[in-house]
Amino acid sequence: MKTSIRNDPHFRPLVILAACVVLLGAADWGQGRFLSAATPFSTLQTFANIGLVALGLGLTMMIREFDLSVVGMFGLAGCVAVMTGAVHPWFGIVLAMAIGLAAGVVQGLIIVRFALGSVGVTLGGLLTFVGVAYVLTESRSVPFENIRVALLVNEPIVGLFSLRSGISLAIFAAVALLFGFTRLGRDVIAIGSDRRAAMITGVNVDAFVVGIFAFSGFCAATSGALLSYSLASASPAGLSDVLVPAAAAAILGGVSLGGGSGRPLGIATGALILAVLRSGLNAVEAPPFVNDIAMGAILLTVAILDGPYLVRRLGWIASRVRPSS
Amino acid sequence: MTGTGVAAQGTREAAMSLAPDRNRMLMAVRVTVVALLIAICVATPGFFSLPNILSLLTTVSFMGCVAVGMTLITISGNIMSFSLGATAGAAAMVFIVAVNFGGVGVGLVAALAVAGLVSAAQGFAVGWVRANPIIVSIATLALIYGVAEIFTKHSSVYFRPGTGIEILRGKLGGLPLEFVVLLCVTAAGQFILSLTRFGRNLHMIGSSFRAAEAAGVKTWRTVTGAYLWAGLFAGLAGIMLAIRYDGANMDYGVGYDYDAIAAVLVGGTLIKGGQGSVLRTLAGAMIIAIVQAMLLLRGFRQEWQYLFTGLIVLAVIMLHTSGERR
Repeated sequence: MKTSIRNDPHFRPLVILAACVVLLGAADWGQGRFLSAATPFSTLQTFANIGLVALGLGLTMMIREFDLSVVGMFGLAGCVAVMTGAVHPWFGIVLAMAIGLAAGVVQGLIIVRFALGSVGVTLGGLLTFVGVAYVLTESRSVPFENIRVALLVNEPIVGLFSLRSGISLAIFAAVALLFGFTRLGRDVIAIGSDRRAAMITGVNVDAFVVGIFAFSGFCAATSGALLSYSLASASPAGLSDVLVPAAAAAILGGVSLGGGSGRPLGIATGALILAVLRSGLNAVEAPPFVNDIAMGAILLTVAILDGPYLVRRLGWIASRVRPSS
Repeated sequence: MTGTGVAAQGTREAAMSLAPDRNRMLMAVRVTVVALLIAICVATPGFFSLPNILSLLTTVSFMGCVAVGMTLITISGNIMSFSLGATAGAAAMVFIVAVNFGGVGVGLVAALAVAGLVSAAQGFAVGWVRANPIIVSIATLALIYGVAEIFTKHSSVYFRPGTGIEILRGKLGGLPLEFVVLLCVTAAGQFILSLTRFGRNLHMIGSSFRAAEAAGVKTWRTVTGAYLWAGLFAGLAGIMLAIRYDGANMDYGVGYDYDAIAAVLVGGTLIKGGQGSVLRTLAGAMIIAIVQAMLLLRGFRQEWQYLFTGLIVLAVIMLHTSGERR
C-alpha cells in the first residue's frame, strides 16, 4: 500500500488533498466554518499567492535545476508594479512581468553559457533582486494609491474566483495544455531524467533551460505584482516568506528534486493542498503556528519518503529486527 | 541536484587542458580585487578608525560563525541549509530563557544543545535516507518558526537583571569578544576539515558520494556530523546575538543563512561540494563585511549593501566555477 502511493507521483497529491479536506472537516464537525461557501474563495485567494511561484520553481526542479531567485523576484516585481502602476495599472504589471522575464532570461543565459550550477547563480540573482528592491523603495514600504484597482483585483467573480486567482488558474491551464498536447512536456521530463540523453536525441537543452528560467521569473513577477496590487502596498522585505510554500507545493505535487518527474497539474494540486490547509485552519480559527508546523511536517515527511535510500534503510532495519525476535 | 552537471563531459576535458592558465588568471583576478579593495579602504576616510574597525569585526562575527557551519554543509555536497539563520534565532531565545532560569552555564548548554540537535536531526534525514537537503532545511525552517511561535507568541525575550551577562560583552586583547569567538570557531572548523578523518571523509563524500560509499565511509554519520557542527556554530552565533543586543526574538536570525552562503561562495568554496576551506569562508565574510562598511562610510544608504552583496556573489560565482562544472 505504502509503496504503491510512493511510486505513483500523480496519485499522492490527490490523497494528501483529500486527507486535508477530511481532517479539516472533522476538526470543524458540525460548526460549518470550514465547509462553508466562503472557504473555496479564500482557498483560491491563497492559491493565487503561491501557485504561480510554485509553478515556475517546480518547472525548474523538473529539469533538475532550482530557481532560488523567485523569492527576490516576487518582492521586486511587487515593488516595481506598485511604484509605476498607480496611474496605469496595466503599465505597472506589464513592466513587472517584463522585468521578471528579462531577469529569468539573463540568469538562464548565465547558467547555460558559463555552464554554472543554478543554485549559485540564482542565489546571486536573489540577493541582487532583493537589493534592487531595497534601493528602489529606499527600504520603505510603498503604498499603492489606486485603491480601485486593489479592490478590483480581489473582487469575487461568481462567488468563487477573483481576477487574481483567475489569472493564476488560466496560466496553469495554459501550461498544462501545452504539456499535455505538445512535445514540450515530454522534452522537459527527458531533460530532467537524463540531460545528456535528451541532448543526443536532439532536444535543444540550452533553449529549454533559458526558457524555463524566463518563465519562472515571469511567474514570480506576475504573482508578486498581483499580490502587491491586492494588498495595496509593497515592501522589499514583506513578501520573502514565499519560498517555503512554493517549494512545498511543488514537492507535494509530485515534482522530485532529482528531476524528471512532475506535471503542471500536480503542482496545482500541491498548491491547492497548502491553500486548503491555510484557509481551512483559518476557518476553524486555529492559531497561526499550526499552519507552519503542518506545512513543515508534511514537507519533511514527503522529503523522507522520497529519500532514495529509504527502502534500503528500512530493509536493513527489518533484517536487524527479524533474527532477534 | 548533486547530479546537475552530468552532461557535457567534453567541456570538462577542454577545461582541464586549460587549467594552469585558468588558475593563473584566477589568481591574478583575486590579487587585483583584494588590492583594489585595500586601495579603496585606504582612500575611504574613517575606514581605519577604531570604532569602524570594531563594529566591522563585531558584525562579521555573527555572519561568520554561521558561514563556517555552512561551509561544512556545502563541502559535504549538500549545497546549503535554509534553516541555520532560524536556528541561530531560536538558540538566542533559548539562551536567554535558560540564563534567566539557571545562569550562564545552563544557558550555553541549553542553547547549543537545541541548535545542535535541530541541525543534526536534519543531517540524519539527509544522510541516512538521503532526503533532499534543500527541502529538509526548508521544512525545518517552517517547523522552527511554528514551534517558536507557540512559545513566544511573536514577542521578544530579555535577560532578567543580575544574570551577570554584561561581562560577556567585553573585549579580549583589544578585540571584540565576538570576533575572538569567530577566530576560535574558524580554527576549530579548519582543524576538523584538514586534520581529522571526519574532515577527510567529508571532502570525499562531497566530491563523490558513491566513491565514498564504495570506500566504506559511513556516509550518514559524516553528513550528520557536518550538520551537527553547523548547528553548534549557528547556535554560537545566536548566543552572541542575544548577548550583544540584550534580548532576542525570532527575527534576529532572519537572513543569516543567505549572508552565510554568500560568504561561503565569495570565499571560493565550490557549491557542488568536495572542495573548499573554512579559512576561505572567513576571507569571504570579511570581504562582504568590508564592502558593506565601506559603502556605508561613503554615504551609500544601507539598501545598497544588499545590492552589492548580490552582485559580488554573482561575479564570484561566474569567475570561479566557469568551466569547472559540467
